[in-house]
Amino acid sequence: MEKNEFQQQGGEEWKRAGRQSNIDQHSSGVAYLETVIDNLPVGLFAKDASDSFRFVLWNKKQEEITSIPCEQALGKNDYELFSPDSAKYFRQVDELVIARKRKFEVSEEIIDTPESGEVWLHTIKVPIDDVEGQRTLVVGISEDITEQVHAREQLAALNENLTEANQQLQVTQMQLIQAEKMESVGRLAAGVAHEVKNPLALLLLGVEYLSGGIDPCDPNVEDILTEMREAVERADKIIRGLVDFSSQRQLAMELTQLPDLIEHSLLLVRHELKKGNVEVDACYEEGLPDLQIDCAKFEQVLVNLLINAVHAMEDRVKPKIEIQVSAAKLEGIERDEGLRTAHHLRNGDDVVLLKLKDNGGGISDENLQKIFDPFFTTKATGIGTGLGLPVVRKIVELHNGWIDVKNRLLGGVQITITLKVPKSEAERIDM
Amino acid sequence: MVRKILVVDDEVGFTKLLKMNLEKTGQYEVRVENESTKALTTAHEFLPDIVLLDIVMPGMDGGDVAAQMQDDPMLRNIPVIMMTALVSQEETSQDAVAQAGAMNILPKPVNLEVLLRCLEEAFASEAGE
Ligand SMILES: Nc1ncnc2c1ncn2[C@@H]1O[C@H](COP(=O)(O)OP(=O)(O)O)[C@@H](O)[C@H]1O
Ligand SMILES: [Mg+2]
Repeated sequence: MEKNEFQQQGGEEWKRAGRQSNIDQHSSGVAYLETVIDNLPVGLFAKDASDSFRFVLWNKKQEEITSIPCEQALGKNDYELFSPDSAKYFRQVDELVIARKRKFEVSEEIIDTPESGEVWLHTIKVPIDDVEGQRTLVVGISEDITEQVHAREQLAALNENLTEANQQLQVTQMQLIQAEKMESVGRLAAGVAHEVKNPLALLLLGVEYLSGGIDPCDPNVEDILTEMREAVERADKIIRGLVDFSSQRQLAMELTQLPDLIEHSLLLVRHELKKGNVEVDACYEEGLPDLQIDCAKFEQVLVNLLINAVHAMEDRVKPKIEIQVSAAKLEGIERDEGLRTAHHLRNGDDVVLLKLKDNGGGISDENLQKIFDPFFTTKATGIGTGLGLPVVRKIVELHNGWIDVKNRLLGGVQITITLKVPKSEAERIDM
Repeated sequence: MVRKILVVDDEVGFTKLLKMNLEKTGQYEVRVENESTKALTTAHEFLPDIVLLDIVMPGMDGGDVAAQMQDDPMLRNIPVIMMTALVSQEETSQDAVAQAGAMNILPKPVNLEVLLRCLEEAFASEAGE
């Protein structure tokens, strides 16, 4: 048989690497080498470059990977074993290895096998001069990476699904935020209408007074006109406030002074505060840096928190909300704490702290775990939706901020929102 | 005869114009109290013939003021007219008005003509008693 002849012509070791070699006839060293080669967890093969790249070595793992038995492979070349395309590619690499006398690594190649279908391989080929046999070999090691490749493909597909789902989620979240806002707008509308009616009432009285005929000597006239002008401005401000608040826009961050935003929000809930007889004590540190804020969304945060506080203080004798805004350097974050914001807030960051305290009934330990769950509410239907705080948290997260809710020692709740000062502002302050 | 009206409402501009309008008729002397918590004291001092009371006010709302007037022998018989910018039905229900001992409730924006008629009626019924 041609194959046997070929083997006899080849160097002794290589010949013996063939699986039919009779171990008993050879020294234990060679037998040992043979065993090692056959038990390697990678495919090992060698081709004789001086003999049209016919295979002279084909270990057990190589049989497994290719589903081609050693007897069939030895003495044949790639064209006789693989598809023309694959064979052509293997040959090109072999020739390169010989020409350059250097190792060549193919990180991924594919072969068609009758049994396992497509098999992905990671192959390294090296040229070896077989001095004794006076020939040059291309020795290759192939690792079956089919599973890895499939896993990677699946991962990529999953990742794509995930990205899509995530995008969908973001759209939905924005819709939820907007829906919650419209709910608030509905609730605020009555109060806002009330606030607008007061300036309207003034206007009507002004008109009544003046329509009786204007006496140029009447000192009241100028006063009335001033009042009327202010009333129009006030009504406009309130209405504009509600319209801006309800507008649906893309997330639009702009450099903003937090206290201005708080004052706007207080105007929106002015009626509720007045009705609840709530004292508001706002204290803003001077020279606060501007923050990157989406005003309409952040007003939603403030309105929600203020209304929650008003609700919580309904049976209090002296309901009071304290608001404090101050600049600080962040400290005391442990690594694992606030995982979700770990990317955004770090110890030493310049931040602005917004504290909102009420003296209401506080939140039980059990409920404290649930207040950020959507639809968790302790309020009657029609008063609470349970969407306020989840939306608040989402919006704060959109600002890369952090919200903390805790009970105050002497009763009531303290909310702390931590917002990072944008870099440009931080540098300005540090100067 | 000039009648004395006490207006209790936290809206400064509104009360100022109301006072001007009422006094322009030449029939009324108007005192304004913008702080509802001081309403009783002012009422004692001024001893008005009628009180115009806003409902939604910080500190003490109109209902509270009216109730305290009811409990006060000096003020019990002074008629009260309530004013409100509230919109919803339940908040302006006649029940609440009656409970507070008020004789009428006027929606804001207040129509001056209606208010003047209300005042006339109040004094007429008082005189009739
Ligand atoms: N300042 C507060 N004081 C006491 N309890 C509060 C406060 N803020 C929120 N809560 C509790 O958290 C729950 C969830 O609040 P939220 O998500 O805003 O929904 P909702 O206000 O519609 O109930 C409330 O029902 C209430 O029990
Ligand atoms: Mg809420």
